[in-house]
Amino acid sequence: MWFAGNKGSLYFRKGSSTMGLLVHKALSQLMRTHVLLSFALVMRLLLVGFGIYQDRTMTVKYTDIDYHVFTDASRYVTQGESPYNRSTYRYTPLLAWILTPNIYLTFVFGKLLFVACDVLTGLLIQRLLLLRGLSAESSCLYSALWLLNPLPAGVSSRGNAESLLAALVLGTLLCLERRWLFSGAVLYGLAVHMKIYPVTYALPIALYLQTREQGAGTPGGKRSWTLWGFVRRVLNRDLLMFAFISGGLFCGLTLVFYHIYGWDFLHETYLYHLTRRDIRHNFSPYFYMLYLTAEREWSLVLGLASFLPQVSLLLLSSLAFHTDLSLCCFLNTAIFVTFNKVCTSQYFLWYLCLLPLVIPHLTLSLKKGVGVLALWFAAQALWLAPAYYLEFEGQDTFVLIWLAGLLFLIINTYIMVTIISHYRRIAIPNRPKTD
Amino acid sequence: MMGMILQTCVLLFWVDLGLSVTHPGKGGDGCGFIITSQWVDLVKVVVNLTKSGFHRDLVYIVQFGAPFPEDLQVLLLQNITRGVYMDFYQLQSLRKDTGLHVLLDSEVDLEAPAYESPGFTALVYPRPNPTNLGHLTTTVPIHGRYHRPSDPGTREKVAIKHPKLLLKSDTCEHGKPLLSSLPHKIVYAPCSVDNVSICSWIEVENLQVPQSMALDLPVGDKSLIFTVCGGTLFITILCNLILTATIWKHAIFEFS
Repeated sequence: MWFAGNKGSLYFRKGSSTMGLLVHKALSQLMRTHVLLSFALVMRLLLVGFGIYQDRTMTVKYTDIDYHVFTDASRYVTQGESPYNRSTYRYTPLLAWILTPNIYLTFVFGKLLFVACDVLTGLLIQRLLLLRGLSAESSCLYSALWLLNPLPAGVSSRGNAESLLAALVLGTLLCLERRWLFSGAVLYGLAVHMKIYPVTYALPIALYLQTREQGAGTPGGKRSWTLWGFVRRVLNRDLLMFAFISGGLFCGLTLVFYHIYGWDFLHETYLYHLTRRDIRHNFSPYFYMLYLTAEREWSLVLGLASFLPQVSLLLLSSLAFHTDLSLCCFLNTAIFVTFNKVCTSQYFLWYLCLLPLVIPHLTLSLKKGVGVLALWFAAQALWLAPAYYLEFEGQDTFVLIWLAGLLFLIINTYIMVTIISHYRRIAIPNRPKTD
Repeated sequence: MMGMILQTCVLLFWVDLGLSVTHPGKGGDGCGFIITSQWVDLVKVVVNLTKSGFHRDLVYIVQFGAPFPEDLQVLLLQNITRGVYMDFYQLQSLRKDTGLHVLLDSEVDLEAPAYESPGFTALVYPRPNPTNLGHLTTTVPIHGRYHRPSDPGTREKVAIKHPKLLLKSDTCEHGKPLLSSLPHKIVYAPCSVDNVSICSWIEVENLQVPQSMALDLPVGDKSLIFTVCGGTLFITILCNLILTATIWKHAIFEFS
């Protein structure tokens, strides 16, 4: 049986049977980076192939509905029209542009791109873990939590674009850890352009850069608590460069697409997500409240008030954990998703891709770790059951869905509390200098 | 694509000509087939609502009990109330997969609740059933919308009206109309899904109308508004406080 030791090392319980040794040898081989990546890629390509077969032969389709939305939007682009002619296309035009080979070359181009980004995400996780002081074997083991995980493999091979974001976010983190600030800023600017949620990393990144500039914790480091000292620390060269490049890229892309597609672009890509009030059932604890109050005069106030728990926690978490950027980004994403007014299952991938960076530093026993994971799945199952009866059987299960949503919030809170309180802080070795 | 559909389907309009032409018997200016009351008595348009919940199928079966021209084409005009919708993109996908032929007369919001949605008209072109000659069938998916919260135990009934049956025959065009000896209307509508130029169709009236169908959808319980608001805010604030305390306890505040 496999388990992770306190230092993130991998052990094999000595059963000394031949079968055990063979399994050990096979898994040791698998835990080599290139073998693991190849295995993960082949697994995903097989799923893409199976998807083509299922789509052709079965009533229930494998391909995600969003993939058809992307492809339709790309088709409009190839015809010289706006991708927003496709209703429910609420992404950057860049995605529709990137996916034009779906029209010109092959329908599966986008899936192959998402699968490649998915595997790249696993590689980035492994590289980040190495930088965080894990051994080669352990970093492979923990990146396998992503690479061999059927959830992200299924999502990317079905044609969902979340892996693009995962690769951009992890690429940003890796560049920041390596002090490749220019590349990090470009990736971060792109990430925020593609989806809004990475904007919650802006404050931790800013604080991280100013902390690093001053060489925190060094014996000779002088602390200056004057206003001038604070301003000097915050407005350091690294931060200004990072902000200028990432902000410039974000604003530049926004201006270009606004010029081409006008108000539709701003509304569908950004404003819709900010003002979104989806009254249909979803994982958010706020769903039933927003449905019942949708036409009340004070619903707007209630909607704005529901931002408060989210914003206050994001602020506190950023201030508290910015020195460990991976942990901070994981927590900020989990907080953002858990307390959001709309939450669907694809949002879970936003923080799941950061989880392998956090797990090696947890002092949880394997039993408790598995227990927490089981709790998370159980909470989803408890929500899915009444949601199914509402949607497909027409039964009035609104109250049950609402209660299950609240329970999911409580369980997510419990998991975040468990992670924070069992997190063993690490000293990242050999921090390189800025590029 | 949507623009094309709007341009073509918005042209759909009604012209009531009353008893316009009657040409009994073969020959003359007609195409040789006359819709009579005896013929209409044998026509049945059956609509079944299958599945349950918010995602349903409308199964149309058009049965002709008497002989009809080989090239007779059929169009069903289905008025859709604001409580349900058809997904244009799903229809497009089904067109590729199953040969489903449906046009919509306007752009349909897939997410809006019933009280913020207008109704629309679907033009359903049923196709011959290869296993049952003389029958035309087609299955169109429809979806329920969320409705205004109501009193405890109340459900929303969304009635599906019976479709109107329109007929045309290609060989009866250009001054040789498909004829009816009954009072009838001429309706101008797209010729087919592939050919969206406008054709004249005869509406067959006085059909036997079976019992109306309805979706029975659950709605939110408005009497719970304060319980739900109070409970939601209590739990979210409680979780917020627990997380705040935990983060504060384990925080690493380093700012220099």
